[in-house]
Order: sequence, then C-alpha cells, then structure tokens
Amino acid sequence: MSLSSIARLAGAAALVGMSAFAVQAQTSGEPIKIGAIVSATGAGAGLGIPERNGMLLAEKTINAKGGINGRPIKLIVEDDASNPDTALSKANDLLFSQKVVGLIGPSLTASTVAIGGVTHANKFPQIAFTGIGPAVEKERKCLAHVLPPQKLNAQALLEYARSIKATKVGVLHDAGYGNVVMAEIRPLADSYGVKLVAVEKFEVGATDTTTQAAKVKAAQPDALFIIATSATPFRNVKQLQMAQPVVAAIGSSSYEYVNAMGPGADNVVIPEFVVGEDPLPHQKAFVDLYKQTYNSTPKNFEAAGWDAVHVMAQAIGKAGPNATPQAICDAMRGPYSGVLANFNFSADDMTGIPLSSFVFSKLVNGKYTRTPFRIAQ
Amino acid sequence: MTLSLVLQAVFAGVTNGMVYALVGMGLAAIFKGSRVINAMQGEFSVIGAMTTVLLLTKAGWPYPAAIAGGALAGALVGAFIEVAFVRYMAKKNASEDSFLLLTIGLALTLSASILFFVGRDGHLLPPLGGEGVLIVLDAVIQFHALWLIAIGIGATLLLRAFFHRTTVGLSMMAASIDADGAATTGINVARMRTFTFVLGGVLGAAGGILVTPLIGVDYQLGLNLTLKGFAAAVLGGLTNPLGAAVGGLTLGLVESLAIIGISSSYKDVVAFSVLIVIMILMPQGILGRAGRRGG
Repeated sequence: MSLSSIARLAGAAALVGMSAFAVQAQTSGEPIKIGAIVSATGAGAGLGIPERNGMLLAEKTINAKGGINGRPIKLIVEDDASNPDTALSKANDLLFSQKVVGLIGPSLTASTVAIGGVTHANKFPQIAFTGIGPAVEKERKCLAHVLPPQKLNAQALLEYARSIKATKVGVLHDAGYGNVVMAEIRPLADSYGVKLVAVEKFEVGATDTTTQAAKVKAAQPDALFIIATSATPFRNVKQLQMAQPVVAAIGSSSYEYVNAMGPGADNVVIPEFVVGEDPLPHQKAFVDLYKQTYNSTPKNFEAAGWDAVHVMAQAIGKAGPNATPQAICDAMRGPYSGVLANFNFSADDMTGIPLSSFVFSKLVNGKYTRTPFRIAQ
Repeated sequence: MTLSLVLQAVFAGVTNGMVYALVGMGLAAIFKGSRVINAMQGEFSVIGAMTTVLLLTKAGWPYPAAIAGGALAGALVGAFIEVAFVRYMAKKNASEDSFLLLTIGLALTLSASILFFVGRDGHLLPPLGGEGVLIVLDAVIQFHALWLIAIGIGATLLLRAFFHRTTVGLSMMAASIDADGAATTGINVARMRTFTFVLGGVLGAAGGILVTPLIGVDYQLGLNLTLKGFAAAVLGGLTNPLGAAVGGLTLGLVESLAIIGISSSYKDVVAFSVLIVIMILMPQGILGRAGRRGG
C-alpha cells in the first residue's frame, strides 16, 4: 500500500468518525489482534489487493463504532506473495508469535490448504476466501469461507442459461479455474435442460483462443459460457463475430479484465454479487464508504474482505473476551447477512451462500449494469 | 471438421506465428550478433507496446507518432542494455550462461518496473484498418491481423536484405563470427554489438505494438512472448533470423491445427510433440545449415 493511499484511508476514517457516525464511540484497552493473510503480490494479487482494501476499511469502521465490546481490533495483514510456503510461515508467525485470536484468508486455495496443518491442528477460527471442497469441509468446522464454492458458480451460470431458454450451450474455459467450474457444470447440465454442444479448453494465460472459439462457433450453440481469469477469450469471440449471448463466470468480473476486453465486453452477463455502479439497498452503505475512501468502485472481493472481518469480529464479540479458539469457532457458525451474500456458516459447505444472493450484471459499453434477473430462493 | 474451420485455424496460426516470428527474429538477430541468448526479448515487446499506449492515451500523441515512439523506446532500451551491461561483461569474457542470467534478471526487473509504474491493468491499442474483418468461407480474419502478417513478412525480407546487402549488416555478422578477425579489418566490434541490440529492441517492440490490438498488453506478457519466440527461433535455427520466421509460422500453425485436428485439451501435447520430432530430425533447426552460411 502506498503512502498516499494510507493517508487517504486515514482521512476517510477520520471522515467516518466525524460524519457517518457523528458520535464516535470510544475504544479502550488492549487491541484484539486478528491476523490476515492475503496475496498482495504475485499471481493472486488481483484477489488479494481488493480483499485487503475491504478488510482495512472494515477494521476502521468497526473501531469507529466502538470495536468489540469497547476494545479496538487490530488487523495484522501479511502478504503470502501467492506462495503457499510463505503463507505457512506467515500463519505460524501470526498464530504463535503475534498471538492473534482469529485468522482471515488466505486468498488462494493452495495457500489455504498449506496452512491447514497449523490452523486445523489448533482448531483455530479461520475465515478463508475460497472453499477447499466438500471432503475437507466435512472435517474442518473452524474453517469458514466467504466466496462461493465452484458448484454454486456453476449453478448460477446454468440458471441464467435456463432463464434465456438456451438449451445448446458452448463453453470456452481455461485449464485452471475454468476446469474446476467446468467439472461442476457437467453433472448439473442435464437437470437444467442444457446440452453442452462444444467444450473447448485453453491454457491459463493463453494469448489467443480464436481456434477454440471457432470450434465452439461451428457447433452453433444458443449461448456461450466463458470461464476464465483473462480477457482474451472475450475478445476472440467478438473478433469471430459470434452473436450468441455470452455468460461469464465470476472469475472474469474484475475491472482489470473488463477493461482489457475492449469491444469484447459488450453484453457479457456475469453472475456475481456486488455491482458497485448500482448496489442493492443493503450494499449501498458499504459501496458509498468504499468509494469515499479509495476513490474507486468496489466489487466482490472488496465486499468479501469487508464481510470476513465483520464475521470474525462478531464471533469474537459473541464468544467473549477470554474465549478459547473452539468457542470462537462455535460462535462463528450461524447465519450472517453480509454485503456480499446471506451467509450461513453452519451449512455443510461452511459458507451457506444461497443462489438467491447472486445478482446478474451486464456489461454495456464497458460499464456494469445490474439486470433485474434474480434466482428465487 | 469443415473447410471453414480449417481456414479459421490457418488464419489464427499464421497470425500468432507471425508474432512468434517477430519476437524470434529479434532473439536470433541478437544471438547472431552477440552470442547472447536474450531472455528479455519479450520485454522489448512490452516496452514498445506500453510506450505506444502511454504516448497515445496519456500524452495524446497521434497514433503513427506514438508507434514510432514505441519502436524508439525498444531501440533505446536495447542500446542501453548493451552499453550498460553486456559490453562491460563481454570485456571480462563473461560466458554465455552469465549473459543468459543477466537477461533473465533484466526480464524480471523490467516486468516488475512496469507493474510498479504502469500498474496491473491490460491495455489495448486501436487496430490498424479499424475493427473491420475479412470473411472467407465463413472464416474471419481481422484487417489488423492482415496488416500484422504483411508487416511481419516485410520485416523478414528487410532483415534478410540488411544482413546480406548492407555494410553494417555484413559487419555485424563478421563481428559475431570472428570478433578478432573483424577487429583487424577495422570493424568496431563493440559498436556492432550495440547495433544488434538496437535491432533486436526494434523488432521486439514492433512485435509488441502489432500484437497489442489483438491480445492486449500487460506487465506479464513478456515472458509468454519470449518463450514462444525462443521456441520459434530454435525451431528455425537460432543463428538465422529468417529461420525464426519459418519457425514461428510452423509453431503457430501446428498449435492451431492441433486444436481442430485433435482436441483443445491436447493442444500443447500435440504441438510440442511435433516440435520435438522436428528437432530430432533437424537438430540444427529447419534452416540451420543456411544459418551457418549467414542466413
């Protein structure tokens, strides 16, 4: 974080203290330390930086409102450089040297798995960003997560396809994230009345996917899913003049990718959670505060960071000042209405996000607009 | 598999192949002139493209001037690297692997600097010939891609003429084949090596500027281009810039035809298997022997 953004953050925090919460609640006593590990550099930085911004904003806001039962919280944010080994040493440091009472993150699944040996062995309360799959989630009930499991992303794509009556769907996906989501789509497609007429894969970071797109085009689908963390396939589909509706998985919803899509962004629909340009009523206060602080519009990962800190703070508050890690875990498990979604951390998948929490944005002239389509509860 | 799909694959293959070729030609030109394997060749592309983007969008230069600025940036960075690092190391008789390590280090440094100064975002440039496309038998190719291919072919022919017909080109070749011999005939070996880096920088920048309207440029693009360009150069014969053009086109076509012929899941397996077979049958590269004669 640069000096200027720290200054902005401090300024905005002061603003929050003076205006939004006219009477700033006083906090006193030893701060309650919460650890956080994000990927602020390296391949995961596109996730880690917005997550960190959301978390720091939550810290300031919670403290401005009086902290946890009058005690301030102190967030200790570490960067794992998108490296699981680094995440492990940071986790050791946070748990045993810094003696934090809860842990947020890491950003990446590989890092989350890597630190499991430390956090799970100590039944340590942890809110990760992505889930690590049903097999592990059955076991580890101290590890909640705030971003949707890939099965839910798959369902959201299929729900939209059904809503536009697309029965023949083509898919372009990358070999990383796209592969995982695709594996969830295959067994579900039939139940949505969707036939996958062409499924084409490309490597992560591919600079050209024209030939794959041409193969999908030749299968004449009614709609196209693009599941990737890059802008390339969107541009290629546009270059091939494919007229089918394009539905993109949440992985390509960031401004970074959308800006790089150029004309390829037109009319792409994305099932996601926060459309900063047109937030849902319960998201508005967060979006406004974020814009005021960072001078940019938040999206899903910022909201996930914000929610993670709030969930952890609430659990610590509920469990009381001298609670054991297990007591905080137990306090964490329950419903929580966040900015990102309506969570239920007592659900089997340790996040409990319902499909009804998805909103569907459409890119019009490179700008996000929120469509009226929602999935009924 | 329909004819239009094959044609689409050929279009994509030739377009990508020409980008690999431009990067590979720069790599080969530098190797030919200095025996340095330049692992930062793709960074020249990123520098050229990013400079053009910044001149066009931030400084408001007209597009042709911004392109010239981008190419000049590639040339200057090339010259700087030779004068500041390579020349000094060459004086101390640094080995080929030391130079390789130098350029790997420079590649990482430049990529990180671009991340720091320009940011993570990808950028596009306006396509030459507008957003128009040519449609042949239902297969689509952008006008820009046609420009890219035409300029790529032009650059290949110019480069060949340069090494064969001009005094500077011949001197560069002489300086690389036998530095001492060249020096005794009055060729300034160090200056020739600077020229090869300038040439490599311009070729890399040109490739980057040309590919940006199609794939966009960001700080991470360099390594990707270097790897493909290196494969193209080795495939064609590393000492022969013309070979890199042949190698690049071969690589591009094998990749895209593998997708329609077999499956996109096995694209790399097929493409690299073909490359291995070529290297076993022709260990000097496709045009390797011609390379020894000077390309």
